[in-house]
Amino acid sequence: MAFTLYSLIQTAILCTNAIAVLHEERFLSKIGWGADQGIGGFGDEPGIKAQLLNLIRSVRTVMRVPLIIVNSVCIVLLLLFG
Amino acid sequence: MDYSTQSEFRHQPKVRMRGTPMDSSEPSLLFDDTSTGGQPSGHGRQDKAPLGYAGQTLLSDPMSNLAMAYGSSLASQGKEMVDKNLDRFIPISKLKYYFAVDTVYVGKKLGLLVFPYMHENWEVSYQQDTPVAPRFDINAPDLYIPAMGFITYILVAGLALGTQNRFSPEILGMQASSALVWLIIEVLATLLSLYLVTVNTDLTTIDLVAFAGYKYVGMIIGVLAGLLFGKMGYYLTLLWCCASIFVFMIRTLRLKILSEAAAEGVLVRGAKNQLRMYLTMAIAAAQPVFMYWLTFHLVR
Repeated sequence: MAFTLYSLIQTAILCTNAIAVLHEERFLSKIGWGADQGIGGFGDEPGIKAQLLNLIRSVRTVMRVPLIIVNSVCIVLLLLFG
Repeated sequence: MDYSTQSEFRHQPKVRMRGTPMDSSEPSLLFDDTSTGGQPSGHGRQDKAPLGYAGQTLLSDPMSNLAMAYGSSLASQGKEMVDKNLDRFIPISKLKYYFAVDTVYVGKKLGLLVFPYMHENWEVSYQQDTPVAPRFDINAPDLYIPAMGFITYILVAGLALGTQNRFSPEILGMQASSALVWLIIEVLATLLSLYLVTVNTDLTTIDLVAFAGYKYVGMIIGVLAGLLFGKMGYYLTLLWCCASIFVFMIRTLRLKILSEAAAEGVLVRGAKNQLRMYLTMAIAAAQPVFMYWLTFHLVR
Protein backbone atom coordinates (compact mmCIF):
# COMPACT_ATOMS: atom_id res chain seq x y z
CA MET A 1 0.00 0.00 0.00
CA ALA A 2 1.82 3.03 -1.21
CA PHE A 3 0.54 6.06 0.59
CA THR A 4 2.01 9.46 0.06
CA LEU A 5 1.45 12.65 1.97
CA TYR A 6 -0.32 13.99 -1.09
CA SER A 7 -2.92 11.24 -0.97
CA LEU A 8 -3.42 12.00 2.73
CA ILE A 9 -4.15 15.64 1.88
CA GLN A 10 -6.54 14.51 -0.84
CA THR A 11 -8.32 12.19 1.58
CA ALA A 12 -8.60 14.93 4.16
CA ILE A 13 -10.08 17.39 1.68
CA LEU A 14 -12.56 14.84 0.36
CA CYS A 15 -13.69 13.78 3.84
CA THR A 16 -14.11 17.35 5.04
CA ASN A 17 -16.08 18.16 1.92
CA ALA A 18 -18.30 15.15 2.52
CA ILE A 19 -19.07 16.26 6.07
CA ALA A 20 -19.66 19.87 5.09
CA VAL A 21 -22.12 18.91 2.35
CA LEU A 22 -24.64 17.28 4.70
CA HIS A 23 -27.54 19.68 4.65
CA GLU A 24 -29.17 20.59 7.93
CA GLU A 25 -32.85 20.72 7.18
CA ARG A 26 -33.11 18.67 4.02
CA PHE A 27 -31.25 15.66 5.27
CA LEU A 28 -30.05 15.60 8.84
CA SER A 29 -33.35 16.51 10.45
CA LYS A 30 -35.12 13.90 8.37
CA ILE A 31 -32.99 11.10 9.81
CA GLY A 32 -33.04 12.41 13.32
CA TRP A 33 -29.57 13.88 13.29
CA GLY A 34 -30.55 17.53 13.42
CA ALA A 35 -28.70 19.99 15.58
CA ASP A 36 -31.54 20.31 18.04
CA GLN A 37 -31.91 16.57 18.48
CA GLY A 38 -28.41 16.12 19.81
CA ILE A 39 -28.65 18.01 23.05
CA GLY A 40 -30.08 15.44 25.41
CA GLY A 41 -29.98 17.01 28.81
CA PHE A 42 -27.62 19.28 30.63
CA GLY A 43 -27.00 16.75 33.34
CA ASP A 44 -24.52 14.12 32.42
CA GLU A 45 -21.96 14.29 29.67
CA PRO A 46 -23.29 14.12 26.14
CA GLY A 47 -23.37 10.71 24.55
CA ILE A 48 -21.68 9.67 21.37
CA LYS A 49 -24.57 10.75 19.14
CA ALA A 50 -24.57 14.25 20.61
CA GLN A 51 -20.82 14.53 20.13
CA LEU A 52 -21.09 13.39 16.54
CA LEU A 53 -23.83 15.87 15.74
CA ASN A 54 -21.81 18.58 17.42
CA LEU A 55 -18.82 17.64 15.34
CA ILE A 56 -20.79 17.73 12.09
CA ARG A 57 -22.28 21.09 12.92
CA SER A 58 -18.95 22.60 13.91
CA VAL A 59 -17.22 21.28 10.79
CA ARG A 60 -19.94 22.88 8.73
CA THR A 61 -19.61 26.20 10.50
CA VAL A 62 -15.88 26.43 10.85
CA MET A 63 -14.67 24.90 7.61
CA ARG A 64 -17.13 26.49 5.21
CA VAL A 65 -14.96 29.39 4.07
CA PRO A 66 -11.58 27.61 4.13
CA LEU A 67 -13.12 24.76 2.15
CA ILE A 68 -14.31 27.19 -0.50
CA ILE A 69 -10.79 28.53 -0.84
CA VAL A 70 -9.11 25.13 -0.81
CA ASN A 71 -11.56 23.69 -3.32
CA SER A 72 -11.07 26.59 -5.70
CA VAL A 73 -7.32 26.21 -5.48
CA CYS A 74 -7.62 22.47 -6.14
CA ILE A 75 -9.87 23.04 -9.14
CA VAL A 76 -7.53 25.59 -10.65
CA LEU A 77 -4.48 23.39 -10.06
CA LEU A 78 -6.15 20.33 -11.52
CA LEU A 79 -7.26 22.29 -14.57
CA LEU A 80 -3.79 23.64 -15.13
CA PHE A 81 -1.69 20.60 -14.32
CA GLY A 82 -4.00 17.66 -14.78
CA MET B 1 62.22 26.12 -0.60
CA ASP B 2 61.84 24.61 2.84
CA TYR B 3 62.60 27.87 4.54
CA SER B 4 60.08 29.77 2.50
CA THR B 5 57.30 27.28 3.18
CA GLN B 6 58.12 27.31 6.86
CA SER B 7 57.98 31.05 6.98
CA GLU B 8 54.68 30.96 5.15
CA PHE B 9 53.20 28.65 7.71
CA ARG B 10 54.36 30.89 10.48
CA HIS B 11 52.95 33.93 8.80
CA GLN B 12 49.66 32.45 7.88
CA PRO B 13 47.93 32.53 11.27
CA LYS B 14 48.79 36.21 11.58
CA VAL B 15 47.36 36.90 8.20
CA ARG B 16 44.18 35.02 9.03
CA MET B 17 43.56 36.91 12.22
CA ARG B 18 44.15 40.24 10.64
CA GLY B 19 42.41 39.24 7.49
CA THR B 20 38.91 39.14 8.84
CA PRO B 21 38.37 42.78 9.78
CA MET B 22 39.47 43.66 6.31
CA ASP B 23 36.72 41.76 4.63
CA SER B 24 34.44 44.71 4.20
CA SER B 25 37.07 47.00 2.81
CA GLU B 26 39.09 44.64 0.63
CA PRO B 27 36.93 42.03 -1.09
CA SER B 28 39.86 40.56 -2.96
CA LEU B 29 41.44 39.41 0.28
CA LEU B 30 38.37 37.69 1.72
CA PHE B 31 40.05 34.29 1.75
CA ASP B 32 43.63 33.47 2.50
CA ASP B 33 45.41 32.56 -0.66
CA THR B 34 46.65 29.18 0.46
CA SER B 35 46.69 27.77 -3.07
CA THR B 36 49.85 29.65 -4.01
CA GLY B 37 52.47 27.32 -2.54
CA GLY B 38 55.74 29.17 -2.86
CA GLN B 39 55.23 32.82 -3.64
CA PRO B 40 56.90 34.98 -1.09
CA SER B 41 56.19 38.08 -3.15
CA GLY B 42 52.46 37.62 -3.08
CA HIS B 43 52.81 36.72 0.53
CA GLY B 44 54.81 39.86 1.18
CA ARG B 45 51.99 41.87 -0.34
CA GLN B 46 49.53 40.20 1.96
CA ASP B 47 51.85 40.72 4.87
CA LYS B 48 52.18 44.44 4.26
CA ALA B 49 48.52 45.00 3.56
CA PRO B 50 47.17 44.24 7.04
CA LEU B 51 49.94 46.38 8.56
CA GLY B 52 48.99 49.20 6.26
CA TYR B 53 45.29 48.91 6.94
CA ALA B 54 45.63 48.26 10.65
CA GLY B 55 45.09 51.89 11.47
CA GLN B 56 42.05 52.06 9.28
CA THR B 57 40.40 48.94 10.74
CA LEU B 58 40.38 50.65 14.10
CA LEU B 59 38.44 53.65 12.85
CA SER B 60 36.76 51.49 10.26
CA ASP B 61 34.64 52.57 7.39
CA PRO B 62 31.63 54.12 9.12
CA MET B 63 29.30 52.99 6.34
CA SER B 64 30.32 49.37 6.62
CA ASN B 65 30.10 49.56 10.37
CA LEU B 66 26.60 50.92 10.15
CA ALA B 67 25.69 48.31 7.60
CA MET B 68 27.03 45.53 9.81
CA ALA B 69 25.20 46.78 12.86
CA TYR B 70 21.97 47.17 10.91
CA GLY B 71 22.35 43.74 9.36
CA SER B 72 22.94 42.06 12.69
CA SER B 73 19.97 43.77 14.30
CA LEU B 74 17.79 42.80 11.35
CA ALA B 75 18.98 39.23 11.62
CA SER B 76 18.19 39.06 15.32
CA GLN B 77 14.76 40.60 14.71
CA GLY B 78 14.06 38.08 11.99
CA LYS B 79 15.15 35.25 14.22
CA GLU B 80 12.85 36.49 17.00
CA MET B 81 9.92 36.69 14.63
CA VAL B 82 10.55 33.22 13.23
CA ASP B 83 10.87 31.80 16.72
CA LYS B 84 7.66 33.42 17.88
CA ASN B 85 5.67 32.28 14.88
CA LEU B 86 7.12 28.80 14.93
CA ASP B 87 6.28 28.51 18.58
CA ARG B 88 2.67 29.19 17.78
CA PHE B 89 2.41 26.21 15.43
CA ILE B 90 4.87 23.75 16.91
CA PRO B 91 5.24 24.14 20.68
CA ILE B 92 9.01 23.92 20.83
CA SER B 93 9.29 24.23 24.60
CA LYS B 94 6.85 21.38 25.07
CA LEU B 95 8.76 19.30 22.56
CA LYS B 96 11.95 19.76 24.55
CA TYR B 97 10.33 17.94 27.48
CA TYR B 98 9.84 14.85 25.35
CA PHE B 99 13.48 14.70 24.37
CA ALA B 100 14.89 15.03 27.88
CA VAL B 101 16.08 11.46 28.03
CA ASP B 102 19.27 9.71 28.95
CA THR B 103 20.80 6.35 28.18
CA VAL B 104 19.51 4.61 31.30
CA TYR B 105 15.94 5.66 30.52
CA VAL B 106 16.18 4.52 26.91
CA GLY B 107 17.59 1.15 27.93
CA LYS B 108 14.93 0.56 30.55
CA LYS B 109 12.16 1.71 28.28
CA LEU B 110 13.25 -0.55 25.46
CA GLY B 111 13.32 -3.45 27.89
CA LEU B 112 9.86 -2.48 29.08
CA LEU B 113 8.54 -2.39 25.52
CA VAL B 114 9.71 -5.92 24.89
CA PHE B 115 8.94 -7.37 28.33
CA PRO B 116 6.29 -5.41 30.24
CA TYR B 117 5.06 -8.28 32.35
CA MET B 118 7.14 -7.74 35.47
CA HIS B 119 6.67 -4.00 35.83
CA GLU B 120 4.30 -3.10 38.64
CA ASN B 121 3.94 0.64 38.98
CA TRP B 122 2.76 2.23 35.75
CA GLU B 123 1.83 5.63 37.06
CA VAL B 124 3.50 8.75 35.84
CA SER B 125 4.88 10.71 38.74
CA TYR B 126 4.10 14.39 38.86
CA GLN B 127 5.99 17.29 40.29
CA GLN B 128 3.66 20.12 41.25
CA ASP B 129 1.17 19.57 38.46
CA THR B 130 3.70 19.10 35.71
CA PRO B 131 4.76 15.59 34.75
CA VAL B 132 8.33 14.72 35.58
CA ALA B 133 10.82 14.64 32.71
CA PRO B 134 11.31 11.21 31.15
CA ARG B 135 14.83 11.12 32.50
CA PHE B 136 13.49 10.63 36.01
CA ASP B 137 10.40 8.55 35.41
CA ILE B 138 10.33 5.48 33.25
CA ASN B 139 6.58 5.65 32.74
CA ALA B 140 6.62 9.06 31.10
CA PRO B 141 6.23 9.07 27.31
CA ASP B 142 9.06 10.44 25.24
CA LEU B 143 9.60 11.21 21.58
CA TYR B 144 13.19 10.08 21.30
CA ILE B 145 12.46 6.37 20.99
CA PRO B 146 9.62 6.83 18.46
CA ALA B 147 11.69 9.20 16.32
CA MET B 148 14.75 6.97 16.34
CA GLY B 149 12.56 3.92 15.84
CA PHE B 150 10.93 5.44 12.78
CA ILE B 151 14.24 6.27 11.16
CA THR B 152 15.67 2.86 12.03
CA TYR B 153 12.56 1.18 10.64
CA ILE B 154 13.07 2.91 7.31
CA LEU B 155 16.73 1.89 7.24
CA VAL B 156 15.92 -1.70 8.18
CA ALA B 157 13.22 -1.77 5.49
CA GLY B 158 15.79 -0.62 2.98
CA LEU B 159 18.16 -3.34 4.19
CA ALA B 160 15.46 -6.01 3.96
CA LEU B 161 14.48 -4.95 0.47
CA GLY B 162 18.11 -4.83 -0.51
CA THR B 163 18.71 -8.43 0.48
CA GLN B 164 15.86 -9.40 -1.82
CA ASN B 165 17.16 -7.31 -4.71
CA ARG B 166 14.07 -5.16 -4.61
CA PHE B 167 15.80 -1.99 -3.53
CA SER B 168 15.81 1.37 -5.24
CA PRO B 169 16.22 4.80 -3.60
CA GLU B 170 12.63 5.77 -4.36
CA ILE B 171 11.39 2.85 -2.31
CA LEU B 172 12.95 4.34 0.83
CA GLY B 173 10.98 7.52 0.33
CA MET B 174 7.81 5.54 -0.34
CA GLN B 175 8.27 3.48 2.83
CA ALA B 176 8.92 6.60 4.86
CA SER B 177 5.89 8.49 3.64
CA SER B 178 3.72 5.39 3.87
CA ALA B 179 4.64 4.77 7.50
CA LEU B 180 4.26 8.46 8.29
CA VAL B 181 0.80 8.58 6.72
CA TRP B 182 -0.32 5.52 8.68
CA LEU B 183 1.00 7.13 11.86
CA ILE B 184 -0.94 10.33 11.16
CA ILE B 185 -4.10 8.37 10.37
CA GLU B 186 -3.75 6.39 13.59
CA VAL B 187 -3.22 9.50 15.71
CA LEU B 188 -6.20 11.25 14.08
CA ALA B 189 -8.42 8.22 14.60
CA THR B 190 -7.38 8.03 18.25
CA LEU B 191 -8.04 11.74 18.72
CA LEU B 192 -11.45 11.42 17.09
CA SER B 193 -12.46 8.46 19.22
CA LEU B 194 -11.21 10.17 22.38
CA TYR B 195 -13.32 13.19 21.49
CA LEU B 196 -16.41 11.13 20.80
CA VAL B 197 -16.21 9.25 24.08
CA THR B 198 -15.69 12.53 25.99
CA VAL B 199 -12.79 11.35 28.02
CA ASN B 200 -11.38 13.84 30.49
CA THR B 201 -7.77 13.02 30.12
CA ASP B 202 -4.53 14.89 30.05
CA LEU B 203 -3.30 13.00 27.03
CA THR B 204 -1.94 15.52 24.58
CA THR B 205 -1.54 14.97 20.87
CA ILE B 206 2.20 14.59 21.29
CA ASP B 207 1.58 11.89 23.90
CA LEU B 208 -0.51 10.01 21.37
CA VAL B 209 2.20 10.36 18.75
CA ALA B 210 4.70 8.99 21.26
CA PHE B 211 2.51 6.00 22.13
CA ALA B 212 1.83 5.28 18.48
CA GLY B 213 5.53 5.44 17.75
CA TYR B 214 6.50 2.82 20.31
CA LYS B 215 5.45 0.03 17.99
CA TYR B 216 8.35 0.71 15.66
CA VAL B 217 10.65 -0.99 18.16
CA GLY B 218 8.75 -4.26 17.87
CA MET B 219 8.58 -3.93 14.10
CA ILE B 220 12.34 -3.49 13.83
CA ILE B 221 13.02 -6.51 16.03
CA GLY B 222 10.60 -8.58 13.98
CA VAL B 223 12.10 -7.64 10.64
CA LEU B 224 15.65 -8.21 11.87
CA ALA B 225 14.66 -11.62 13.20
CA GLY B 226 13.03 -12.33 9.86
CA LEU B 227 16.24 -11.41 8.06
CA LEU B 228 18.34 -13.62 10.32
CA PHE B 229 16.09 -16.61 10.86
CA GLY B 230 13.65 -16.59 7.97
CA LYS B 231 9.90 -16.49 8.04
CA MET B 232 9.50 -18.64 11.15
CA GLY B 233 11.73 -16.32 13.17
CA TYR B 234 9.84 -13.33 11.88
CA TYR B 235 6.46 -14.71 12.88
CA LEU B 236 7.56 -15.83 16.32
CA THR B 237 9.32 -12.57 17.18
CA LEU B 238 6.47 -10.52 15.79
CA LEU B 239 4.00 -12.50 17.87
CA TRP B 240 6.04 -11.86 21.00
CA CYS B 241 6.44 -8.15 20.26
CA CYS B 242 2.75 -7.76 19.39
CA ALA B 243 1.72 -9.33 22.68
CA SER B 244 4.10 -7.13 24.67
CA ILE B 245 3.02 -3.93 22.91
CA PHE B 246 -0.60 -4.91 23.52
CA VAL B 247 0.00 -5.36 27.25
CA PHE B 248 2.15 -2.23 27.41
CA MET B 249 -0.49 -0.06 25.75
CA ILE B 250 -3.32 -1.40 27.84
CA ARG B 251 -1.44 -0.92 31.09
CA THR B 252 -0.33 2.58 30.16
CA LEU B 253 -3.60 3.84 28.69
CA ARG B 254 -5.71 2.31 31.43
CA LEU B 255 -4.41 4.82 33.89
CA LYS B 256 -4.94 7.73 31.57
CA ILE B 257 -8.32 7.00 30.05
CA LEU B 258 -10.27 5.10 32.67
CA SER B 259 -11.42 6.64 35.89
CA GLU B 260 -9.39 6.06 39.01
CA ALA B 261 -11.61 3.40 40.47
CA ALA B 262 -11.60 1.30 37.35
CA ALA B 263 -7.89 1.72 36.91
CA GLU B 264 -7.21 0.10 40.24
CA GLY B 265 -8.90 -3.06 39.12
CA VAL B 266 -12.21 -2.58 40.86
CA LEU B 267 -15.00 -3.55 38.51
CA VAL B 268 -16.96 -0.38 37.95
CA ARG B 269 -20.24 -0.89 36.19
CA GLY B 270 -21.70 1.69 33.92
CA ALA B 271 -21.88 2.20 30.23
CA LYS B 272 -19.32 4.97 30.28
CA ASN B 273 -16.54 2.94 31.82
CA GLN B 274 -17.32 0.02 29.61
CA LEU B 275 -17.05 2.27 26.58
CA ARG B 276 -13.73 3.59 27.79
CA MET B 277 -12.43 0.07 28.34
CA TYR B 278 -13.46 -0.87 24.82
CA LEU B 279 -11.70 2.22 23.53
CA THR B 280 -8.48 1.33 25.35
CA MET B 281 -8.60 -2.20 24.02
CA ALA B 282 -9.30 -0.97 20.50
CA ILE B 283 -6.32 1.37 20.58
CA ALA B 284 -4.11 -1.38 21.95
CA ALA B 285 -5.39 -3.92 19.42
CA ALA B 286 -4.70 -1.58 16.54
CA GLN B 287 -0.98 -1.71 17.31
CA PRO B 288 -0.36 -5.36 16.37
CA VAL B 289 -2.46 -4.90 13.25
CA PHE B 290 -0.29 -1.99 12.14
CA MET B 291 2.85 -3.83 13.10
CA TYR B 292 1.95 -6.72 10.85
CA TRP B 293 0.65 -4.51 8.05
CA LEU B 294 3.79 -2.43 7.85
CA THR B 295 6.28 -5.28 7.90
CA PHE B 296 4.86 -8.35 6.20
CA HIS B 297 5.87 -7.22 2.74
CA LEU B 298 9.46 -6.84 3.87
CA VAL B 299 10.05 -10.44 4.81
CA ARG B 300 9.72 -13.05 2.12
